[in-house]
Amino acid sequence: MTASFVLTLGEYWLWIGALVAVVFLTIGIDRIDEDARGAYIFRVLLVPGVLAIWPLVLMRWFTLETGRDAWRGRHTTERHIHAGCWWVLAIALPLIVLGGLALKQNWPDDFTPVRIGDAQ
Amino acid sequence: MSVKYIPVQWNPNKWVYDAVLIVMMVIYLWVFLMLAPDRLDHERVINPQINAMRAFGSCAFLMLTVILCLGPLARLDRRFLPLVYNRRHFGVLTLIVALSHLAFVLDWYYAFSPTAPLEGLLSANTSFTRTLGFPFEMLGLFALVVLFVMAVTSHDFWLKFLTPRIWKRLHFLIYPAYAAVVGHVALGALQDQTNMVFAAVTLVSACLVGGLHLAAVILDKPAPAASGDWVSVAAVESFEDGRAKIVELGDGERAAVFRMGRDLAAISNACAHQNGPLGEGRIIDGCVTCPWHGFQYRLFDGRSPEPFTEKVPTYGLRMHNGMVELNRVANPPGTPTDPISLPEDVA
Repeated sequence: MTASFVLTLGEYWLWIGALVAVVFLTIGIDRIDEDARGAYIFRVLLVPGVLAIWPLVLMRWFTLETGRDAWRGRHTTERHIHAGCWWVLAIALPLIVLGGLALKQNWPDDFTPVRIGDAQ
Repeated sequence: MSVKYIPVQWNPNKWVYDAVLIVMMVIYLWVFLMLAPDRLDHERVINPQINAMRAFGSCAFLMLTVILCLGPLARLDRRFLPLVYNRRHFGVLTLIVALSHLAFVLDWYYAFSPTAPLEGLLSANTSFTRTLGFPFEMLGLFALVVLFVMAVTSHDFWLKFLTPRIWKRLHFLIYPAYAAVVGHVALGALQDQTNMVFAAVTLVSACLVGGLHLAAVILDKPAPAASGDWVSVAAVESFEDGRAKIVELGDGERAAVFRMGRDLAAISNACAHQNGPLGEGRIIDGCVTCPWHGFQYRLFDGRSPEPFTEKVPTYGLRMHNGMVELNRVANPPGTPTDPISLPEDVA
């Protein structure tokens, strides 16, 4: 996968996001959020977010439009996964730094750099 | 709190918070750019562009470190809570500093080639199988993308639209992003310095973020969940007026049982805004007040006072053998419940 291919994919992602942003921020948002009705300036701030996560926006819009939103999910935290994550974090972060320092290559003490132009 | 969305919710406290942030950031950059070049002791002589790149990069790293430390610090010591209050502005400012770092990188290392700068960044080093010489730029780029997604989804609308659960999953990416930044620094800037000060700063930062999170989760353990519909909370006489006791219900769910005067009632421990710990807040003006951002709920029906519209689930309570017990089956958000009254002999 070349860099230009990745950038082209990113470009398409943003164009689709722009299309979703236009429809969602002019029509959809008023239908699914009463607090957005009559409020327009803040919608400009939402544009980059829609561009970035438009598939999630479409999924949530569909869920809210079809009344499938489960209230219980809004109030349940996922604290049970935190302990494991924090252990990994506490071990991995110092190891990454120490690993980087262990790899570090120092300039040899007995070698003096020579400018190529001077050597000729 | 909602009603109608506005672009940015400002108040005098937030102005002060942001002003202090900006002043500290400017001082750091000024010291790094003006005073530090001769003291940094790079192995090779660096030019002003590279120095600026490192100033903004190190500033973004330290800002991210502080942001990540604030959460566990506030759980360990309530005096840090006011610093959590405006953390989203802190995050947006960090993104701006990190983007400045990227701009300096692109404008120096990738500016003098026929290849477009971004394409050059993605294609210059693809040795992903090597440890020494690993394309550390990709680690920084990943972290920058995560910071960007977090900043552009930081408005309250996104919390309500995505639900706190999905929003938090999305924003949980900040932890892999921080690990990527640490790798970016360890395999990048630290490889080029003989002065060990920044290596020490990086190591201390990494240990602080990891250690504080671990300490917070070890010290934050309420009573384990019991089986059956009714869960024992605490002895009747142990409730302090205006405060709550938190009970674990399993699967990450917690309830907060508050005492208001002679009455006890229970609501979800997760604020409808960002799932802040309501049980660590207190009752102000007759409403349970979230310690994170001040969202308020009436105790007996879990609804925010009008004109606000937030709601949290409520729970049934009963008294049994001198203990307060809670029905683990939550009522839908905003459902009124009958409080239970403390016995006459309880102070």
